[in-house]
Amino acid sequence: MTQSTDQQRFHLGFLWVVHTDLGYVGGLLVTNHLGRPLEFQCTAPVRPNKTQEILYGPTLQPFIYSELIGKTLFERVKVQPELIIISQVELIDLRTSISVPVACLIDSEDSQRELPDQTRIQLGMQQLRFHPDYVDDPAIVQKKCSRISKDADLSEPLERVKDALLETVKTNAVA
Amino acid sequence: MQNNRDELENKLMPDQQPSPRFEIDSPEIAATDFHIGNPHIHITGMNGALHRFPGVQSQATALLPPGGFIPTWKPYWPKLKTFGLTFPAGIDFLPVAAEETSDSKLQDLQAPKSSTGDGKSAKKKPTRIKPPSDALSIEDRLFYVLQPPLESWLKGQELIMPFEPFPYQYEGIAWIFSQQSALLADEMGLGKTMQAITAIRLLLRAGQLRRILLVCPKPLIPNWQREFKMWAEEIPVTTIEGDSKRRQMIWQMPGSTVLLANYELVVRDFMAMHEDDFPMFDLVVLDEAQRIKNRDSVTAKMIHSIPRKRSLCMTGTPIENCAEEMISLFQFMKVVPKHASPDIRQLSDLSKDYILRRTKDVVAKDLPPRIDRDEIIELSPAQEQAYKTAETDGIIQLNGMGESITIQHVFELVLRLKQICNADPLTGESSKKDRIIADMEEIAASGGKAILFSQWTKTIDWLAERTKQFGCLTYHGGVPTKKREPILDQFKNDPDSHIILMSYGTGAVGLNLQFAGYVFLYDRWWNPAVEDQAINRAHRIGATESQIIVSKFICKNTIEERIDKVLQQKRELFHRILGDSDNENTSLSMSAGEIFGLFDLKARKGGKAKRIGPKKAKPEANAA
Repeated sequence: MTQSTDQQRFHLGFLWVVHTDLGYVGGLLVTNHLGRPLEFQCTAPVRPNKTQEILYGPTLQPFIYSELIGKTLFERVKVQPELIIISQVELIDLRTSISVPVACLIDSEDSQRELPDQTRIQLGMQQLRFHPDYVDDPAIVQKKCSRISKDADLSEPLERVKDALLETVKTNAVA
Repeated sequence: MQNNRDELENKLMPDQQPSPRFEIDSPEIAATDFHIGNPHIHITGMNGALHRFPGVQSQATALLPPGGFIPTWKPYWPKLKTFGLTFPAGIDFLPVAAEETSDSKLQDLQAPKSSTGDGKSAKKKPTRIKPPSDALSIEDRLFYVLQPPLESWLKGQELIMPFEPFPYQYEGIAWIFSQQSALLADEMGLGKTMQAITAIRLLLRAGQLRRILLVCPKPLIPNWQREFKMWAEEIPVTTIEGDSKRRQMIWQMPGSTVLLANYELVVRDFMAMHEDDFPMFDLVVLDEAQRIKNRDSVTAKMIHSIPRKRSLCMTGTPIENCAEEMISLFQFMKVVPKHASPDIRQLSDLSKDYILRRTKDVVAKDLPPRIDRDEIIELSPAQEQAYKTAETDGIIQLNGMGESITIQHVFELVLRLKQICNADPLTGESSKKDRIIADMEEIAASGGKAILFSQWTKTIDWLAERTKQFGCLTYHGGVPTKKREPILDQFKNDPDSHIILMSYGTGAVGLNLQFAGYVFLYDRWWNPAVEDQAINRAHRIGATESQIIVSKFICKNTIEERIDKVLQQKRELFHRILGDSDNENTSLSMSAGEIFGLFDLKARKGGKAKRIGPKKAKPEANAA
């Protein structure tokens, strides 16, 4: 028996924020390169008040998604991911608050999917897009691409996070 | 007006001569009615004040008081509360030999071959692990919710599988994975072994298990060893065997992951151990778990006492005789307390949570059809003679016993008659033997393989002598365990070996003989569930034949016909119970009353004929 070597290690973080009746709830699942769960953190519901809604205006949601929920979760996890995978564009600005690349899954029906773009890479079965201000990110992730199986579905762990968030909201686990 | 003006000029400029006066001749202008801007200053005596500077004085005034509420706001958000869950580190095994040669990169590992093709399998709905109904804490529930779907776990990414499981097998694996207590009761031949091994494999990887004990009937030990090698080569399996010292050492050995033991050895070794020395297991698996159906038996008591965290029972026949048998299994699974006696309705409720049972007709539609045919055989003259004599004498003898008659007496007569149906003890004449030889000639000519089941090893050995021309092999309790596996290999691989003769007791359970297209029930067992077990050695997942033909030999006008009738009724009952557990009549084996009913036994008492037999058929007498 042996533990995975450091060369093989590639921890991925899957982040999802959901808007429930109780407020915004976020969850971050850290898995190994095979999708096996290592750690999960989720937040208590965040409910902005009226003043915050008025003063933040259209920037409220990106702020809550990235700076409030995303950053908090990233700081709380003990098993640090080397790449955060998201599929909600509001979360892409999380990159400005943390030190690891944040990649957004590109919808398979995206019309621009086939267009050449240096901010995109193929990982598993999905294409990923990175924050335009961090031009080195695609190259950093590209180096570790080989550790992810080509038939890995990177959108699947986000489904698990969604289900887990519903479970926590249902049971009122974090009040 | 002119006078006033002159006076004013004189006052203002007393030293100056008045400027020469000019006259305006034009009468029109003189008549205009506006004044040229000389102020009208009335002579008041105070006009001198106009020549003085005005006096200015300053005075300090207090500031205004501060304003009231001034709204201010700064972007403050309270610190977010979070809830976390860390997953236990699973066991990573050394890669199996096949993987060592390949590059360590994941995409180079060979994915299991999909029976449906890659394109189709990618579109399948993934099998997610659901939290069990008894998992109440959020940590427990999230542990299961966050596990990856089995397909992605198994398909090429982490675990190598010899071939892709069927969808119902994925469901079974996911179910076992999430259950602390489980009874997998799939019908025989649906791959219970593979589901259990794969679930163990995943639980080991998920860090839920470290040490597992697998208990099975002795003849199935090689089968489990083979299956582990096939489905989970990386898991070390240690078989409990050898003398008692060696066994004690194995029990206490900390490194072994899976311990494989038969029921008898477990009972013997645990009885020899002090309770404090009992080894602790994360999971105890009982194969053919009906072995502990009687909770008062020593076997059941010892098995119940094994310290464990999880319990998994496996059996194709959860109800072999009566629904109460399940109580012992539920007790092992720690679902009911020690001396509990739940009623049928409660058992039915428990079944919904803790039993998973699928039948072939529901899940495995691609299995070859099973064709059952009753071969009605007429006894040879010598057999008929012997049969009639034995039956008449036997009944007379039984009737003569009156009230002292017991089930054993009737049972002995039944056995004697059944043996005569197989062959006449004096002449060796046998219509069944003639029929099997005739059938086998046809089967052997077409290269087919057949399994024959009999109740008696004596019959098997006798028949083996007479079917040598078909490469006959025998497999029963009298064959040493070490020789059994080679016999099965020979039957599978030797093209000249067309028939294997098996006893119900040894050959009916656990063996995979799906390459055989014919099954003969040379004589009938008392319990349809056991007969089905036997038939399903061939009729199971992976069956290679296009159809499985099951021939049941029944001698005409004999006790075999009567037994067959009762078994038919039992079989119908069996299906009813598994579908609907509130059926009150749950006896599946032939009860004492039913065995008595095979003969019209009457005791004569004072000129009156009184029916002999138990007052009411009770399920406690298990003739099997």
